[in-house]
Amino acid sequence: MDQLLTQFGIAWPKFAAQVILFLIVYAILKKFAFGQIIAVFEQRRRTIEEGQANAEKIKKQLAESEIRCQEILRKANADAQRIIEEARTSSDASTQKHTQQAIKDAENIILKANESVSLERARMVAEVKKEMVHLVVDTTAKVAGKVLTEADQERLASETSKQLAA
Amino acid sequence: MPFSIILASALTLDAPTIFPSSQGEPFLEWLSNSVFVSVCVAAFIIWFARQATKNMTVVPGPTQNFFEAVVQGLYDLIESIVGAHMVARVFSLLATLFIFILVSNWFALLPGVGSVGWGQAGEYGFNVTAPLLRPTTADMNMTLAMAAVFMCFWLYWSITEVGVKNFLNHIFGVKGGLTGIMALALIPVFLFVGIIEVVSMAFRPMSLSLRLFGNVFAGETLLSTMITLGKDLKLPAPIDSILSVTIPIPFYFLEILVGLLQATVFMLLCSVYIQLSTSHDEEAGH
Repeated sequence: MDQLLTQFGIAWPKFAAQVILFLIVYAILKKFAFGQIIAVFEQRRRTIEEGQANAEKIKKQLAESEIRCQEILRKANADAQRIIEEARTSSDASTQKHTQQAIKDAENIILKANESVSLERARMVAEVKKEMVHLVVDTTAKVAGKVLTEADQERLASETSKQLAA
Repeated sequence: MPFSIILASALTLDAPTIFPSSQGEPFLEWLSNSVFVSVCVAAFIIWFARQATKNMTVVPGPTQNFFEAVVQGLYDLIESIVGAHMVARVFSLLATLFIFILVSNWFALLPGVGSVGWGQAGEYGFNVTAPLLRPTTADMNMTLAMAAVFMCFWLYWSITEVGVKNFLNHIFGVKGGLTGIMALALIPVFLFVGIIEVVSMAFRPMSLSLRLFGNVFAGETLLSTMITLGKDLKLPAPIDSILSVTIPIPFYFLEILVGLLQATVFMLLCSVYIQLSTSHDEEAGH
């Protein structure tokens, strides 16, 4: 074995020197290079993971907001439809009511107008009759050429009224 | 032993000290040319890592960005093999292995590495026998050192992760969910399989280190051979000069790829070894 090692040039002092040298390089790189780099990697990894988690959270919140928004819109649409329907119903009822009121008012107006016309007619008829009686009495007095007494006037007026009434 | 510079020189298996002595014991025997290159590579890696991580900002500069990209890529790759439960513990060592091997392999391709040093004049010119800079992964001491360090950590992580009982059960235990008489009957078989498994584990440092060493050493030898091909074929000097520059070019690109590949293979094998011994039963499907 020793002969084999010697053939390959292995000498323990040189071997030990190489071992020590390699361990020194390993220790220095581990402490001052890889440790720092791996710490930076870890920090970056955590930052990326946090970023991804936040992005996921935001995405989830966005999806929830979208659903909530859709729900609100749907509800608003439903409310709007209901309000429109109620307004339409209310409007129909109001129109019906106002129409009925208008019809009723119109009927009242017509009725009052008829009554007024009847009264006016009666008053005018009465006036015409009164005028006619005066006219008949005056005409009779002029035709007869005499002054009619109170009794004659009463009788003549009464007969004229009866004639007009007939 | 005069000092000279040539384009390349064939490596020997032994990594000589950079302070050769003609009398008695050499000065600082342990400081071989590959140890010296290891120091250079280590210094470069540490300097670059510090440059990249000294003033870290949220929006990284070019150096920080490059280093982060490398580390992130390695982290993801290692995590996909060893699992999220182990990656934090094992990442630093595996990443150090990968970066160290990769930089060492590519450092070996720099002009002057393996071709600047001490030697003597030969039949075809100056022959460097003791280069000042030797590719450190072309030295078994280095590759075996990395493999040995890894195996120590591997044993520690395996035992602390699954416990001694589960670790031994993982090796010697009856697998396949067998119970009752069937399990009892198969205990000797799985004990034998466990012994084979232990032997294979014991050879892991050698297989890891020899694979890396062999590839890099062969690559260096290949480049050296391509550079000196004209001389070996005894071609005229002008042709030899042209060939010594043009022929190695494709092999340099090959060695760049091999350097990356070997670093990746070493790290991936280490990751797989960790995964095999630290995966929990429910995850491994045993």
